[in-house]
Amino acid sequence: MTLDQVPVGSAARLTDTSLHPSTRRLAELGLRPGADVAVLRRISGGGRLIGLGVARMALDKPTTTSLHVEVSL
Amino acid sequence: MSLTGAHCHPTSHLSAHSDLAGDGTLVALVGNANTGKSTLFNQLSGARASVGNWPGTTVEVGTATWRVPLADGSTRSLALMDLPGAASLSPVSPDEQVTHDLLVQAPADERPDVVVAVLDASNLGRDLFLLSQLREQPQRLVVALTMNDVAARRGLTVDAAALSRMAGVPVVAVDPRRRSGVVGLADAVSQAVERPAPAPRARVLGLPEPDDPFAADDDRFAWVQQVLDDVVRTEHDRVSWTDRVDRWATAPVIGPLLFAGAMYLVFQLTIAGAAPLQDWLDGWVAGPVSDAAVSLLSALGLAGGVIESFLVDGLIAGVGTLLTFVPLMAIMFALLAIMESSGYLARAAVVTDRAMRAIGLPGRAFLPLIVGFGCNVPAISAIRVLPDARQRLLTALLVPFTACAARLPVVVLIGAVFFGANAGNVVFGMYLLSIALVIGVGLLLRVTLWRGLRPTPMVIDLPPYHLPLPKQVGLDTWARVRSFLRSAGTIIVVVVIAVWALSAIPAPGADEPIGEVPVEDSLYGATAQAISPVFEPAGFGDWKATSALMVGFLAKEAVISSWAQTYAAEEPEDPAEPGDLSASLRADFERSSGGHTTAAVFAFLTFLVAYTPCVATLGAQRREIGTRWMLASVGISTGTAWVLAVLVFQVGRLIT
Repeated sequence: MTLDQVPVGSAARLTDTSLHPSTRRLAELGLRPGADVAVLRRISGGGRLIGLGVARMALDKPTTTSLHVEVSL
Repeated sequence: MSLTGAHCHPTSHLSAHSDLAGDGTLVALVGNANTGKSTLFNQLSGARASVGNWPGTTVEVGTATWRVPLADGSTRSLALMDLPGAASLSPVSPDEQVTHDLLVQAPADERPDVVVAVLDASNLGRDLFLLSQLREQPQRLVVALTMNDVAARRGLTVDAAALSRMAGVPVVAVDPRRRSGVVGLADAVSQAVERPAPAPRARVLGLPEPDDPFAADDDRFAWVQQVLDDVVRTEHDRVSWTDRVDRWATAPVIGPLLFAGAMYLVFQLTIAGAAPLQDWLDGWVAGPVSDAAVSLLSALGLAGGVIESFLVDGLIAGVGTLLTFVPLMAIMFALLAIMESSGYLARAAVVTDRAMRAIGLPGRAFLPLIVGFGCNVPAISAIRVLPDARQRLLTALLVPFTACAARLPVVVLIGAVFFGANAGNVVFGMYLLSIALVIGVGLLLRVTLWRGLRPTPMVIDLPPYHLPLPKQVGLDTWARVRSFLRSAGTIIVVVVIAVWALSAIPAPGADEPIGEVPVEDSLYGATAQAISPVFEPAGFGDWKATSALMVGFLAKEAVISSWAQTYAAEEPEDPAEPGDLSASLRADFERSSGGHTTAAVFAFLTFLVAYTPCVATLGAQRREIGTRWMLASVGISTGTAWVLAVLVFQVGRLIT
């Protein structure tokens, strides 16, 4: 599934980021396959506010739909 | 050292470091945006910093002298450089290119002697990648660990000693917001200078270098993960007040509303807040300062004539024009510094992202464009909130199309003269036209000059909120006001003096002496007459209309006084009640348009809204995007204005 399908309030593990046009930049920011992200909130414009460790990031809709994840237990 | 001169070659001020401030030792601060890098820079340099563009680019770099106390009680002066925010040494924007060029591309003797990597302790997951690349460079490296208080509040402990061991470089915890650790950083840097430059540190000890850059990145990411695991301990994960504020600041509906409120505040504080100060400065220059100059001249026996006219109407008026912009710029710079250091700017970028994407710009471009409706000059400076130099350039070219407050009285006057009770609709139309111009020209430039410029999907790191420190805001504002005065000052004063000279010198054939010619007999009037045929296809090819537009280049407000002067009419107190001017204006527009007055008036208004706003805007553009792009902007604005004005008149002539 992709990150936009993860319900707000749940956590997920990134499995594939290669569909995003700036995979490399995502990786530098810590968004790499294997990273655990928490979907914290829906934000203005249809994207998501996510937590990566204690860092907070805003991702827009095209970004969330391009990130493949598996929902952690 | 000044970097503002965009004409010199990038290496000219770096070669052998001989012309650097201090003792020629160059220390560069490198780090991600929002790491507190610039705050640290301000703290280290005190009020001695200057901000300027990297030669040949619109990328801003801060330079200063850093006085480092030595053990024997003396001090050592180092040249300190604040490089633009960079996420890695693999550049994706012109800003990161500057860092890459200086640290990787430049010959060894032109690189900084010491690189201080500024890392955010509360966000090491983001910042360690840059460190992993920096430590592979054969460079003296010191890590400054900032935001330790924020990390603690977030329940994180960072083991600086372990980080130092794993990275193989000295690590100093600093808190530039509270001055702690600065001495430790000074010690670490002056010790590093004494050591020979190290050999490149191996990515992973004992492993051969992979040729494949992706494999190299994988190694770096593995290193980052290992350091994170060993150095950072998370004790508890608590909901911070940043999270609580973000529940509103980035939320659908509420977030954009809060942003609208913040923009309203910025707009009001910049425009309304500066107005009384501007009026006072204006009155002070035109009154006491000019009077003092006149009495000084009479005491010297030079009263009256050309010298007095030059001094009062040329030089003093020019410097006065420049001075009246200082309060406006200072307020704008201070508000920008507050929004940036508080962390709100990142949230504003989130809520405006989708709307701005339509014209190929990220959300942050909203800020300069909104401010432009108040005044274009601070709006041009506000482009620095954009992280990418190409986006800054595009925004700087669009700002002049936002209808600033100075255009309003002129539009009101014309509306009242020609449309009476419907003047309000004319004003509304001006704002619609202005918005259409921003969107239209933005789209046009994007499919022509910047075909490749497409904002990548939004991924914005949201730093925790901070209370901005007044001293930091003050230092930042002061450095920028100085830089504005230096680069915009010359052009403003020169143009004001040039216009004075043209209107003081009689055209060939006129018999009045210099300084006493009526406008129509001066070189200025002759120039207007020579240019006016250009506007014939737009229906206002009349020297008086042309002359008003030329004055409007100095300041849009001056259009009204120019008309009053050339028609020898009383300048109206209230532009909505133009009095004597009405009849003369109507007669002239009727004549120049061959009876199609309404079409010509609309064409004139279109030109007025679209063409280059004023010389101060050019000054600000020169400061931000350099002289060549400033001239390009004049071409784009005036060209668009002319084409649209001709179109409006020619089409209007057919239907009226």
